Amino acid sequence: MNDRLRCSRRQVLKSMLAAGALTAAEYAWWDEPLVSPRRAWGATPVRFQFSVPEPKRNALVESLVQRFNQSQKDFEARVEFVPQAQARQKLITSITAGSPPDVAQVWDNWVGEFEGMSALEDLTPRVKDWSGYKDVIPLAWETVTVKGKILSFPWVVTNDGVYWRTDRTREYGVKAPRDDWTFDEFLAYTKAMTKPDRNQYGFGMRGQGTWAVLYATEFMYANGAQVLKDGKVAINSPQAAEALDWYLDLFRKHKVCPPSVPTDGWRGIVEGFGRGVTNAYIHNSGSAEEQKDFVKPENFATVPLPIGPAKKRVSFYFSETLTAFKGGKNREGAWKFMSWAMEPEPHYMYSKGLGLLPARKTVAERPEFTKDPALAGFVKSFPFSIVSPYLAYAGWGGKLDSEGVPLFQQALVGKLTSREFLDKFAEVLTKNMS
Amino acid sequence: MAREATLAAPVARPLLSRRARELLTGYAYLLPVAVALGGTVVVPIVKAMQMSLYNHVLIKPQEYRFIGLANYVRLLRDEVFWLSLWNSFVWVFGSVSLQFAGGFAAALLLHQGFRGRAVFRTLTLLPWIIPGVVVALIWEFLYQPNYGALNDVLARLGLMTEKVAWLSNPQLAMPAVIATNVWRGVPFFAIMLLAGLQAIPEELYEAARVDGAGVLDRFRHLTLPMLRPIIVVATATRIIWTFNYADLIFVMTSGGPANATQITSTYTLMQAYSNLDFGYAATLSVVLLLIMLAFTVLYLKLTRGVEPVA
Repeated sequence: MNDRLRCSRRQVLKSMLAAGALTAAEYAWWDEPLVSPRRAWGATPVRFQFSVPEPKRNALVESLVQRFNQSQKDFEARVEFVPQAQARQKLITSITAGSPPDVAQVWDNWVGEFEGMSALEDLTPRVKDWSGYKDVIPLAWETVTVKGKILSFPWVVTNDGVYWRTDRTREYGVKAPRDDWTFDEFLAYTKAMTKPDRNQYGFGMRGQGTWAVLYATEFMYANGAQVLKDGKVAINSPQAAEALDWYLDLFRKHKVCPPSVPTDGWRGIVEGFGRGVTNAYIHNSGSAEEQKDFVKPENFATVPLPIGPAKKRVSFYFSETLTAFKGGKNREGAWKFMSWAMEPEPHYMYSKGLGLLPARKTVAERPEFTKDPALAGFVKSFPFSIVSPYLAYAGWGGKLDSEGVPLFQQALVGKLTSREFLDKFAEVLTKNMS
Repeated sequence: MAREATLAAPVARPLLSRRARELLTGYAYLLPVAVALGGTVVVPIVKAMQMSLYNHVLIKPQEYRFIGLANYVRLLRDEVFWLSLWNSFVWVFGSVSLQFAGGFAAALLLHQGFRGRAVFRTLTLLPWIIPGVVVALIWEFLYQPNYGALNDVLARLGLMTEKVAWLSNPQLAMPAVIATNVWRGVPFFAIMLLAGLQAIPEELYEAARVDGAGVLDRFRHLTLPMLRPIIVVATATRIIWTFNYADLIFVMTSGGPANATQITSTYTLMQAYSNLDFGYAATLSVVLLLIMLAFTVLYLKLTRGVEPVA
């Protein structure tokens, strides 16, 4: 045999290793998005803004974009990551400056604001012709419909539920929360799960950020209150004040919450549960995957919010959307990217990867979502979920955070009574009904 | 033989006099600085003043219009603004006075000769070197009531029975953020004053000793007057910085709980970046600029400027 054609053992091993690596790269594109980027010569770019609260999303979205670029040759999506805290401001300033991205990941409570700026493309005709239109949960379409116009794709949906520690509940011999539990049972549970000597509290209440007010409002609704009644702000009703008193007393009187509540935002409540300081908290399904890493899947579960004295309960429904902008340079590319991301496979991968609930019924019905105890509480909350009443006016978006939350904190620390808070809050809402 | 007279050729009279040319040359040298300062300081200030006269909310472009002094009227009636102004004074006075006291003590200590002085001088600088946001995150973690180090240490020492929510209690939040700012700002004063101490000639102290001056007399009649220019400049600078310093509070409490730590700079930031109300945020900025200008003039007047005492 010719010596030049002979391979040494080392060369054979090297070749095998290289072949293995290439094959693995081909299959593992979800995890390793940059292994074989497609060369999209001549493809027109699609600017996609995505806000990043955690590294996992970053990798997932890189994969999605890569997959989209490989799926066709006309467009090349380029993702622009921005910190979550600045995403809204960056979008608004880019719209004002006349250079918005072609498509962006946007929370539905921003959609009204952008529509108020006449910045969004009316997707109604295209969406209604789109093959997956009827497969998307109608309530999800509602979250992105403003003045009869569909303005975004509801990518994933969220509603609120209660996370609770299954292992500690068993350990302390406490009765586990039922799907149809009541306010009284909620209080009894959180009291029983509060162990100050072990630095454990029954309930991680949120005191900072927009959702601090939203969670409290869900309890008010359970007592028969409403944000709007006959077109007028009615959040300062006696039912609302009564329920708010009950809710705030969890912190003020019953001491079932950690002392950090007034400054606990999203990270505070998620980490409080994850570090074992709290034994229950309210949030959407977005932190389920994180808690699986923190407290392990077998140690927690979720249940719906409790039923109030008015025999009612609600869970506010939100959606994370894909939104295209009028001022975008590649509107056709934006549509292609959005409709592709809503196709069953990428839609499933995104939702499952983040523990969020898919907006498409056929995807949401997969056992990975319906049988997961970490998501059960949210799925069971669908029948009584409603679109957040605070989406009614675009002018309420920023005000909830800048004026509503400081007022809520004043009620939380006893500087205002529940009634005083609600009166002042109603004033803020009434002033900004635009 | 007739002698020829040598006549000087007349020199053409220059267009500008010598004095005018000197003046022009001087101004030409100043021009780059004037352009740079004008572009980076004057233009933004004028722009802010102009913005403050408009209803300029980014999310409501259709409502953009000239509204005269309406934003200023709104400011006068804004309870949160007055609260934040009061909080700003507490924040500035608390921070700067304690930073000054700590910094002076550290400077006097580091001025003494002892082994390892260079190491201690370097260590003293550390809090100043760390970026403000990182300082805020570190202290936020230390203050964390449930798993923070401070509560844990106090509990282990038997000084605490119930957990203290340092940043979540409206009464404690401001002292807590001031303490963090003091920790960060002490090195600034320490280094500035140490440099001043090193510049005082040793002979003066020797003469004072010969004249029978004690430690306190030497400090009062020699050290303090000699350091006065540095103290005035360092304190004025630090007061202005602290008044405008939003990072620490923004990260640690976001102005909460219940506006207990809301200072004017965080309030302005919130108006601009949360409410996107650039008109009102510009109004706040203009008013703060005026307050700071008035303060600086008054302060320099009260402290008789930076000239050394005769």
